Amino acid sequence: MQNPKRRQLVILRRSPYGSSLARAAVDLSLAMGAFEQDCDLLFLGDGVLQLLDGQSAEAIGSKNLGKMLASLPLYDIESVLVDAAALRSFGLTTADLVLQARLVEPAAMNTLLAGYDHLFSC
Amino acid sequence: MILHTLNASPGSTAFRDCLATAGAADTILLLGDGVYAALPGSEAEQALLACPARLRVLEIDARAAGLLQRLADSILIDMDGFVALSETHPRQLAWY
Amino acid sequence: MIYTLLVLSGPAGGHGARTAAGFASAALARGHQVNRVFFLDEGTTCGNASAVFPQDETDPLETWAKLAEEHGVELVLCISSALKRGVLDETEANRYEKGPATVHPTFVVSGLGQLIDATASADRLVTFGG
Repeated sequence: MQNPKRRQLVILRRSPYGSSLARAAVDLSLAMGAFEQDCDLLFLGDGVLQLLDGQSAEAIGSKNLGKMLASLPLYDIESVLVDAAALRSFGLTTADLVLQARLVEPAAMNTLLAGYDHLFSC
Repeated sequence: MILHTLNASPGSTAFRDCLATAGAADTILLLGDGVYAALPGSEAEQALLACPARLRVLEIDARAAGLLQRLADSILIDMDGFVALSETHPRQLAWY
Repeated sequence: MIYTLLVLSGPAGGHGARTAAGFASAALARGHQVNRVFFLDEGTTCGNASAVFPQDETDPLETWAKLAEEHGVELVLCISSALKRGVLDETEANRYEKGPATVHPTFVVSGLGQLIDATASADRLVTFGG
């Protein structure tokens, strides 16, 4: 029997340069795109900082995560989701982000997550 | 229905975000450094009691941490119980 | 059910890797299939054959090797994470002229496609970090 296609969500929860997990999560997200998976991205908590525009990671010898994320081959722009409460707590708005994203309010978070088959939490 | 596995100390953002996210149909399984949140009378326990999700604690980690005699038997599960929870919850979310 | 496990932390610190190995054994004992354990980021140090653990502590490598040998569980390390941590198979060690291989023979070094491929056919993904 053919398995139905799994709905997958990558949850990016780390600041971009504080740990190697952030980069691993971005690599995984790009691979999901390359393998044409049914996959959305959710930037949660400190993870929203990965999307901050104006990053110059070259200064610390790292790959620019903001630039990598901006270049995500996104055909469905609605598939990038951002934790609205975290964004507010940092004093940021969607205008500060490298790409267009849909805000998810805390009250909607549980229902959103329960709609996926697999949750990759990095 | 989500199985939240919480392996983070009660002071962490992972702990806070897990509790903010968990719903009434969910279960929170404390493991690793997460087990300390079950300490009776602690601030973290109060926060867990206010959360609508069901609470379980991984016995082996509670034992290692010295919590076994401080927790109610009814919330403790072994590794077999962890797998059983993953069977009844279609998705798991790791907080660490 | 078919399970894929994702391991994001190593044996030298934290609880994630040890819990993952315990979970894999318990899942197999309950009659489930573990189609792959994928090690990403710090998790790739689980396959480092050069690691030495004190004699009075459990050797985490043996636990994984037993799962692979006795139950045929596939253990796959993410290549980019593994390279950064000096966990190299013979091909990569030769390619980068880094001396002998450091990956334990029960582990395979490969790409993220191996994770995506495994979860596509899995009923459950269970992630272990920290």
